[in-house]
Amino acid sequence: MTDAPLTPRDADDAEAAEYVLGVQSLAERTASAARVKRDPEFAAMVADWENRFEGLNDGFDEAPAPNLLPAIEARLFPKPAKSPSRSGLWRWVSGAVFATAVVLLGLATLVPPKPALVAVLATADARLAYEVRHFGGELQITRVAGVPAVAGRVHELWLIAPGAAPISLGLLDRAELVVDYPRPPEGWTLAVSIEPAGGSPIGSPTGPVILAVEVGAET
Amino acid sequence: MTDDPVALLIEKCAAQDRAAFRALYRDTSAKLMGVLLRIVRERAEAEDALQEVYTRVWLRAGKYDPAKGRGMTWLIAITRNLAIDRLRARPDATSDDGLDMVQDSAPRAETRLVAMGEARRMADCFDTLEPERADAVRGAYLGGLSYVDLAARHAVPLNTMRTWLRRSLLRLKECLDQ
Repeated sequence: MTDAPLTPRDADDAEAAEYVLGVQSLAERTASAARVKRDPEFAAMVADWENRFEGLNDGFDEAPAPNLLPAIEARLFPKPAKSPSRSGLWRWVSGAVFATAVVLLGLATLVPPKPALVAVLATADARLAYEVRHFGGELQITRVAGVPAVAGRVHELWLIAPGAAPISLGLLDRAELVVDYPRPPEGWTLAVSIEPAGGSPIGSPTGPVILAVEVGAET
Repeated sequence: MTDDPVALLIEKCAAQDRAAFRALYRDTSAKLMGVLLRIVRERAEAEDALQEVYTRVWLRAGKYDPAKGRGMTWLIAITRNLAIDRLRARPDATSDDGLDMVQDSAPRAETRLVAMGEARRMADCFDTLEPERADAVRGAYLGGLSYVDLAARHAVPLNTMRTWLRRSLLRLKECLDQ
């Protein structure tokens, strides 16, 4: 079929459909995923296509899943404090190009009006720094020094429970990121990696870890 | 919305209700496991991905809007996205494993579709496409086939496949949005 080229609007809509179908190559898919995050109109097209294809979902057979809830909950929910094993997380972080981490905790009581400071992620020279605060069921991550990643790359924030796989808390492409999340307990690690625009395509860090900090010390 | 128990559970997850999260896992994990197995085709990877899916569901529950779609549709979209991301990130991303499986189960899928109103409309709209093209769209949606896979399967050049599919998709949209 070699008819007239699509109008720009149709081309956008076709891209949204291709993204939802999943037919694109990894590079195209990564670009579309990034577009979903920065272009609300495109994101709405994608959501429309997800609903349009709803009628095909019956084509997926059910398959009994083992009870993976304990592992999932271990990744998500702070457990009552027990002494964390450090080996798992530091094995994950080690080998990555990473600058020094600074742990700060316990300032909470000194600054009552501000959300409690959970940790600071900073390079040794403090040219790049993120503050992580907790307030009202939200984590607020603010860039207090430095600049976002270069074009085509993005800083992604990860949370790692002791011995568990990292989970993404989101992309640090703006000055502030707010996530609904309980306060991470001591012994958990926050880390920032450099990922392709749109974030890690596979749900775990793929790029170098540039910042890491263990939530530590007594309040 | 009251007729969408899954949506209700997701909204409770957004309010940090862990019991609702467990109920959501109990009620939906078999379906999502089915989606993952169909697309990633390896049990160990599917189980690993399932953990990631529910992690994302919990963290993103606040973004779910029941006015914009059914709960199960939202869950399956998250699941398919992750499964396809993993498939495309594989070093052998052009592999054609599992094509037979997709072809075998597609007709079964369609017979079941006819049972539901919404799904029937989908089937009717698929009927307006040439069978081969409808088959390509279904293979991509259910089996996670890429353009490269589809071009090989239908023995046409990659660009032809892309043109075909884009036109078919826009036609499908026109029909479904009527």
